[in-house]
Amino acid sequence: MIELQQTAAAIYLAAGVGALMGITLPSVRASRGAVWGLALGALVQAAALATLHRQDPVPSLTSLPLAVSFMVWVAILFLLAFMWRVRLTGLAAVAGPVAFLAVFLASLSVPSEGTSSIGSTGPMPHAHVLLSSAGLGLLGVSGIAGVFFLLEHRRIKRKRLVSRGFRLPSLEALDRVNVTALAVGFPLLTLGVITGSAWLLSVEGIVWSGSEHETWTLIAWGIYAGLAVARFFGHQGARQAAASAVAGFAFLLFAVVGVELLA
Amino acid sequence: MKILLLGMSHRSAPVEVREQFAVEDHTAALRKLADQEEIGEAVLVSTCNRVEVVVTTRQPEAARHVLHRFFHVELGGDTPIAGGGHLDDHVYEYRDQDAVSHVFRVASAIDSMVVGEPQILGQMKDAYRLARECGTCGPLLSRLFQRAFATAKRVKNETRISHRPVSVARVAVDLARQIFENLADKRALMIGAGEMIEMALFALQREGLGERRIVNRTPARAEALADRYRGSAHGIGEIAELLLTTDIVLSCIAGDQPVLTSGQLEVALRARRGRPIFLIDMGVPRNIDPAINDLDNAYLYDIDDLQEVASTNEEERRRESLAGERIVLEEQERFAGWLVALQAVPTIKHLLARAEKIRTTELERSVSRLGLDGAQREGVEALTRAIVNKLLHPPLARLGAQTDREEGLAVLEEARALFALDDPNAPGAEVDVLLAEVERRAGTFVAPPGSDPEEQS
Repeated sequence: MIELQQTAAAIYLAAGVGALMGITLPSVRASRGAVWGLALGALVQAAALATLHRQDPVPSLTSLPLAVSFMVWVAILFLLAFMWRVRLTGLAAVAGPVAFLAVFLASLSVPSEGTSSIGSTGPMPHAHVLLSSAGLGLLGVSGIAGVFFLLEHRRIKRKRLVSRGFRLPSLEALDRVNVTALAVGFPLLTLGVITGSAWLLSVEGIVWSGSEHETWTLIAWGIYAGLAVARFFGHQGARQAAASAVAGFAFLLFAVVGVELLA
Repeated sequence: MKILLLGMSHRSAPVEVREQFAVEDHTAALRKLADQEEIGEAVLVSTCNRVEVVVTTRQPEAARHVLHRFFHVELGGDTPIAGGGHLDDHVYEYRDQDAVSHVFRVASAIDSMVVGEPQILGQMKDAYRLARECGTCGPLLSRLFQRAFATAKRVKNETRISHRPVSVARVAVDLARQIFENLADKRALMIGAGEMIEMALFALQREGLGERRIVNRTPARAEALADRYRGSAHGIGEIAELLLTTDIVLSCIAGDQPVLTSGQLEVALRARRGRPIFLIDMGVPRNIDPAINDLDNAYLYDIDDLQEVASTNEEERRRESLAGERIVLEEQERFAGWLVALQAVPTIKHLLARAEKIRTTELERSVSRLGLDGAQREGVEALTRAIVNKLLHPPLARLGAQTDREEGLAVLEEARALFALDDPNAPGAEVDVLLAEVERRAGTFVAPPGSDPEEQS
């Protein structure tokens, strides 16, 4: 499983380099290769995740490294689904290296023994981890698209020239990624929070323990709820939505991963 | 056969002179030129920026005079050059490899006024097609133009010479594509109905723009433009309402007051609920309040911004043309190799004819002296033919295999000297007159190096 994870990480890195070559040379072949590279990386990573149960002892799905690895996998799948229809190859230049770092570091710290192994405590822990990680992955894509949007918006406003080769995706494409990632990612995060409470209920008989992780996650969820309302009901503009996505994801990352690491 | 090119372009003549030499009836002009005895094949390229004639000839000096006369009388109508001066001050002339290089550079748009522009290739293809239809383009110029088109394709694909837009209209469209992913579902509002607006509208339509709305102070002009581009015409008072559902605004209308103020757009943006709008102001004085660019979700570019982008892009194209020059040089060398191989054909034919003449002469002499019967004569004939073939095979194979220009020409000259092909007193030289006549009638004779009568004289 570790070898497969590291192979997937290497393929993601190669895809990132390919995408970078594609936009700097520029080379359509390198850009297309990068997209196929991401797809291959996702396939290998899927194989790694699918063979988790064959390990002895079976690693815990609730461990942070595995959750991060799954989060990256979902994010890459989402991006690939978008790339079929929208010119987003530029994003692969960032997504590739980010996926490499996340998956490679996760592979180094995959625990050899689980504290709550698959199947030992029912379906709730799995549902909580998978839904939360998938939500985080999508909101992460929304954050990256937001960063790109703000850079491109600033460049166009300031009338700064850019080489055709270095061109980023259009503002409209980035905004579409942003809004779709929020539309899918926020409900997944919500389900993740609900299943987390259900898990706690099944283990300790309470829905709220007041831990730092729970508190910060709930605050982050509240922030995202506000962003979703502003975007879908308050008709928030694309630039404000991009800035919100960046700030929201930074906070969410701190709430879910940062607090866990600091604890 | 020599290649000769005489031309006039934006580099050599001002527009008032070029106008004088504009070709009206291409077919008639081409036929008139090809009828001249000194001209072999001919292609006439005529665009708004250049008039060029490419011909093949065995008499370069005489053909040169024919081309000058053709320019002066047929194209220029035998009238004095505008602004004084002489025709020679405004034309350029290239021969052989220089002509080949020039044709390749022109087809690749390296020599164009706007470097990398795509129209010239189509215009050269039209010129070539016309020459083929008129029967004035033979194997040599056909090959030259085919290679020119291949060179242009390589330059386009292997460099960034045509990547960046250089016209204001194309720059505007390019900027729109940086904001909007797809123009097919976008609506554009044109304020004005002049030439600039039409050019931008044309460029947007080519990119698949969804809906076109045209607003003008004179409704009739707006309606005429709307008819041409399948859009809708509106009165100038409808701008505020149209802004609510418009994604791209292009403005170029006369007047010293802005037709669109920051306040107006602010109201529209609130109603648009955050949807972005791209505004292009091509008017002088400006038609759109510059403060609009400070509003969120509004992106405004004026004519100076567009010109600046266009100039920078043009500079980039010029830099890329250096890479194009390298490709032209490679292709020119390849063409030169082909030309050498082509020039080897008459030398090979000449050598074979001489050898056959010697063989048959000597055979006749021996047959009558030895008194051979039919069967014996056939045997001797086969024997002599086999000896000649075996002797000539190595030199003929070497001549046919040459593709490098310098080496190929040297080998050709060496072969002609060794076999005394240019000596009219050498054995078998009687066949030369007959051979030249046959090849002249065939019309495909390519004179070997040094055999040009003018050069010899």
